Amino acid sequence: MRVRFFFAEALRSIRANAAVSVAATVTVLIAVFILGAFIPSFLYVQSTVDSQKNRLDIRAYISDSATVSQVNGLKTQLDALQANGQVASYTYVSADEGLEELRGRLQDPSILDELPSNPLPAKFTVIPSDPEQSDQIVASLQDSPAIDEELGIDYGEETADKLLTVARFIQWAGLGLISILLVASILLIGNTIRLSIFARRREVEVMKLVGATNWFIRWPFVIEGIVCGLIGAALAVGLLWAVKITVVDTWIQGADSALTRDEATAIAFPLLGLMLIASGAIVGALGSGITLRRFLKV
Amino acid sequence: MSTDAPSTPTEPDTPSSRVRERARRRGESLRSSDRRSVLRPGDGPMVILDGVSKEYTSDARGLDDVTLSIESGEFVFLVGPSGSGKSTFIRLLIKEFEPTAGSITVGGRNLQRLRRSKVPYLRRSIGCVFQDYKLLAGRTVYENVAYALQVIGENPRSTRRKVPEILALVGLSDKSDRYPNELSGGEQQRVSIARAFVNHPRLLIADEPTGNLDPETSIGIMQLLYRINRTGTTVIMATHDREMVDKMQMRVIALENGKVVRDQRQASYARADS
Ligand SMILES: Nc1ncnc2c1ncn2[C@@H]1O[C@H](COP(=O)(O)OP(=O)(O)O)[C@@H](O)[C@H]1O
Ligand SMILES: [Mg+2]
Repeated sequence: MRVRFFFAEALRSIRANAAVSVAATVTVLIAVFILGAFIPSFLYVQSTVDSQKNRLDIRAYISDSATVSQVNGLKTQLDALQANGQVASYTYVSADEGLEELRGRLQDPSILDELPSNPLPAKFTVIPSDPEQSDQIVASLQDSPAIDEELGIDYGEETADKLLTVARFIQWAGLGLISILLVASILLIGNTIRLSIFARRREVEVMKLVGATNWFIRWPFVIEGIVCGLIGAALAVGLLWAVKITVVDTWIQGADSALTRDEATAIAFPLLGLMLIASGAIVGALGSGITLRRFLKV
Repeated sequence: MSTDAPSTPTEPDTPSSRVRERARRRGESLRSSDRRSVLRPGDGPMVILDGVSKEYTSDARGLDDVTLSIESGEFVFLVGPSGSGKSTFIRLLIKEFEPTAGSITVGGRNLQRLRRSKVPYLRRSIGCVFQDYKLLAGRTVYENVAYALQVIGENPRSTRRKVPEILALVGLSDKSDRYPNELSGGEQQRVSIARAFVNHPRLLIADEPTGNLDPETSIGIMQLLYRINRTGTTVIMATHDREMVDKMQMRVIALENGKVVRDQRQASYARADS
């Protein structure tokens, strides 16, 4: 019964204070929308980086002058590494196979036809069990005489680093933006509550004089903040849903690899929606809580 | 305590002492429902002021060394020219601020020792009619009166029962959906009285409840307060309405420059020239 009364009081206040309430609600909407767009995007980038990292193979280029026994020696080493679990698998790719592979990856393979001879060396493509252990695998293969002196062993160190740098940048920039927006939302909700208290300061005075306790006066304001937060978040979730079914889902349909599809749906929408609505409520509660501490000293 | 019924204004039919006793008991049972009252039960003095002074600033003195006591069930006029300290007296009783010196006891409670968190409970046990009504502007007459019950956690059903009852008592049944700014001063004053009395406090204080009202409305309000007093409620009424005080012949406490210059039972506004 108390709860109903406090809600009625909060709604009365929101109505009396409509313009500011709407402003605060819209800020929450924007912040939560961006948060909601960022979380899946970030998870998508993150899982892309992870799967790229997993796909980072080690390429050991074989010198043209290597003898068959030297190449077999390298092969024995790889077998040993595979036996102790460091290497998941390896394949020998001859120069011709390498060229075909390249042809497959190029958008315009015809330029390869103009080559006078095959410039590619033969190589072993090694898939490490754990990409983090690439360094050790490379170190143990390095001294084999079969390895081409100039080309050596190539592995995804740099590529992985670059991807990670990009991912980290996106992460920090996103977190920064979201923090700013959330703080702005909290402040705007706080401002709404402050104006609301200000508009009703005479009423608050009277309420105190007829024996209302502090919390009896505070609760409606707290609820007012939470309601603004919840409405803003709910609208943002609705908007995100609309974007998901119109833009993202179409894009996933068009995406060719199953992997992309899995990554794009790394977080279930209902879970995301719940998290966002909860964050809206928290923003609202924080905004009004902070303001009440400062402006409703009773 | 005054025993004689006043000459005028008087209730339409003078209640017999039996009726009065019943009303008093009903009042008591209603009061006991407010379990969180800070006022101690019993028939001792309702208000005791002991050497109370209130200085707003070094040169603005509200009350100056006031010592007096008011018994439970009394009807007291607090008279004096404007600026004599009547409102200061009343605001001290609901602990709007602390006295500069002296001690105040209300219903057996020393207000100095009353914790801040208990002040709301003190105010619920005192009905206060404010000089400027202090109604909630955004609420109807009904909602204003109901608020006093909602504050004490009254359940909605008994709120729906009690509010129309008290509005009928103050003669505002037909105006319960009006907003304060749609009412005359006298009507707002009566809403303020209804709100102060709806939870049947043991002490009702009214700060110039007939100030700025026409004589007829004033008499209506006076009758209402008198009737409330007859239910056993202690009533303190600040006023500078000479005619009214003279008619009622109740205890009169006269203030001047914050000092009690006279405290007399069954008295008139001015000192009776002997
Ligand atoms: N808030 C205040 N600040 C300073 N002086 C005040 C304040 N309130 C009242 N006073 C002074 O205290 C004295 C008593 O005022 P008050 O109790 O309001 O008198 P009354 O109600 O009898 O007209 C007056 O001189 C008034 O100017
Ligand atoms: Mg006054």
